Amino acid sequence: MAERGVGDRPEYLTPVPSPETVPDAGLLLGSVARGDEKAFGRLYDLVAPRVYGLVRRVLRDPAQAEEVAQEVLVEVWRTAARWDPDRGSATAWIFMIAHRRAVDRVRSEQAAGDRVARVGAASVDTPYDEVADEVAVRLERQQVRHCLDVLTEVQRQAVTLAFYQGHSYPQVSELLRVPLPTVKSRMRDGLIRLRDCLTPEVAA
Amino acid sequence: MSAPHEKRERNDVHSLIGAYVLDALDDIDRAAFDRHLRDCDVCRLEADELFEVTARLADGAWSVPPPRLRDNVLAEISNTRQLPPAVPPRPRAQDRSRRGLRLVAAAAAVVAAAGAGVAVYQVQDSRVRDAQSRLEAARASEARVRSILGAPDVQTRSGELRSGGRVTVSSSRLQNAGVIMLTADSAPAAGRVYQMWTIQSGAPTSAGALREGQSAAVQVVEGLPAMSNVGITIERAPESPQPTAPLDALVDLA
Repeated sequence: MAERGVGDRPEYLTPVPSPETVPDAGLLLGSVARGDEKAFGRLYDLVAPRVYGLVRRVLRDPAQAEEVAQEVLVEVWRTAARWDPDRGSATAWIFMIAHRRAVDRVRSEQAAGDRVARVGAASVDTPYDEVADEVAVRLERQQVRHCLDVLTEVQRQAVTLAFYQGHSYPQVSELLRVPLPTVKSRMRDGLIRLRDCLTPEVAA
Repeated sequence: MSAPHEKRERNDVHSLIGAYVLDALDDIDRAAFDRHLRDCDVCRLEADELFEVTARLADGAWSVPPPRLRDNVLAEISNTRQLPPAVPPRPRAQDRSRRGLRLVAAAAAVVAAAGAGVAVYQVQDSRVRDAQSRLEAARASEARVRSILGAPDVQTRSGELRSGGRVTVSSSRLQNAGVIMLTADSAPAAGRVYQMWTIQSGAPTSAGALREGQSAAVQVVEGLPAMSNVGITIERAPESPQPTAPLDALVDLA
């Protein structure tokens, strides 16, 4: 895998080149909450590739991903005043909305029955690497990846099957052939271990 | 990989927190969990913190959207009315640093591991006998834990248990108190318990013992900043007046 890194960082600010440094999502979202459309444009440029990328990763279908990403970004505009900075970062709040919307779409389609076959065939043998080709290589990504490797196999699978592929925990249990309570605890343990790995200063 | 000492899985709603944060719950479970979060500050902190982790996972899924998406979104927002802020904002501790947040969540994890029903496991305390006063003590203790972990000068140190697991000690001079968070991989053999000690000038004082079968605890220790070490031993149940066993962990507070 290509070793690129910090040098590439400014690239994710495209398509609008900004003379400034990376804007702060929290400050922008605060302005958006007060109706600042210009700030929204800048926030869009900052987060849209990740929102779209995440939604696409879960849904796979680019057309659907575009539709859902649009819903998500409009929702960010609409509900910006509901973001509580004390409870978490702006990006975490935005990606939470994005992920939930994407998963809701998966579920409603599963309920409609037309997605099951596609998902069933694609899910188990889609490794993390496959989609990696289309994502920007960033330092963070390498770190996330490194930290995913720190998890046990079941923890890693439980987290990634749910997060990147939108499976419910009973589906994950089915796919991994492990009991439901084990899946629940592996998801939680996996996230906690990821947190400890991603924020090393906590392990003082 | 499941260890032979795989702990009993808990059925309490809190165990769904990972699945909740990963959006792996169905609507009914999700709603139940939302209710759970409304009633439990510490759990909400843990959830918020785990959402930060999933945000990092989202960082990895970067993909260039079609250029028309920007135009479509900007066109739509110019016709979309924004929601007003939620009216009664929940009062929040102003000095809650990110570090404090992480620690509170760590404590929440321990609390949840300590288990079923009781918010904070109260180490054996003869003053607290009946269920009601225990519950009140647990609540008071939870508030104390939060005030210590949220202190601006909180310092955290941790060590591995030789028997497997971790002990984390957070201490605040401003609060003149500390919190010992013990999470062992499993409880000691029958008849044995984890016991916590504070050590000053080489002299150990018991900071409480866990119950038999218990593998996690959150313990507030008043005056902890004056101590030099926190030690953990495995003693004969219910507890020992002096440490008799070799140290399972020793955390240096200096």
